[in-house]
Amino acid sequence: MSLLVITVGLFSLGLYGVLTRRDLVAILASIEVMLGSATLLLVGLAAAGTPVGAHEGAVEATGVMVIVLAAAEAAVGLALVISVARRFKTTRVDELAEVKG
Amino acid sequence: MTLASIIFALLGVVAVSGAVVTVFARDVSRMAMGLGAFLLAVAGFFVYWGATFLGVVQLFVYIGGVLVLMIFAIMLVHRSPDGSPLLETRHDVAALAVAGGLFFMVVMALRGVVPDSVNQGIESGPAELTEAFLGPMLTHFEMGGVLLLAVLVSVVVILGGDDR
Repeated sequence: MSLLVITVGLFSLGLYGVLTRRDLVAILASIEVMLGSATLLLVGLAAAGTPVGAHEGAVEATGVMVIVLAAAEAAVGLALVISVARRFKTTRVDELAEVKG
Repeated sequence: MTLASIIFALLGVVAVSGAVVTVFARDVSRMAMGLGAFLLAVAGFFVYWGATFLGVVQLFVYIGGVLVLMIFAIMLVHRSPDGSPLLETRHDVAALAVAGGLFFMVVMALRGVVPDSVNQGIESGPAELTEAFLGPMLTHFEMGGVLLLAVLVSVVVILGGDDR
């Protein structure tokens, strides 16, 4: 239960950060917290003896895939942040009114 | 209280504190430090559970790569002439309701699935990981490579767009 509370709590904290932060870099950092907590729950489940995946090594392989995805997300996200900062001279989402609905 | 539970509690405290600093810090450098502490604690959890290779990958890719990339981005885009805090939070109540509601729903849904104690550990190592990647998960492995290539091209296109 402590594993579940810690990991889901961290995920919710990251979600709260994504919803409340007004800076693009801070939003990306909050997304990293969410991804990290999801990986933590997956590996924790496997460590607790819950069958995760159909074969041996599936948990670590899935963990590595999530880390690769997170790295890709961070690279593209930060490239977009730098591009936005160059063009609009700000990284605050409430000042980026061009894509406002 | 056993040594294992003390280590688990310590790692949990570091992870939660790091995440809280990441989400609530008003200073970008403190936010980066908080994220570093959180990622370090996650790597510690992996090593503690026996997934040593995953912990090392987490350390290299996240802390050595993603965090450094993030600090570079912060240095490039955050130039506050008066040194005022650049990070703010708004819409706290609605966001708190959404995050709290999600926490409650997921914990209620998974409470029967997740065991109380994590004491078995992961027995598979790099050899099993290699067998998985070169066997049943070969497609995932290849897709990961294609994704990273696409990311490389995308970053060049996104950041080189201003020169055209």
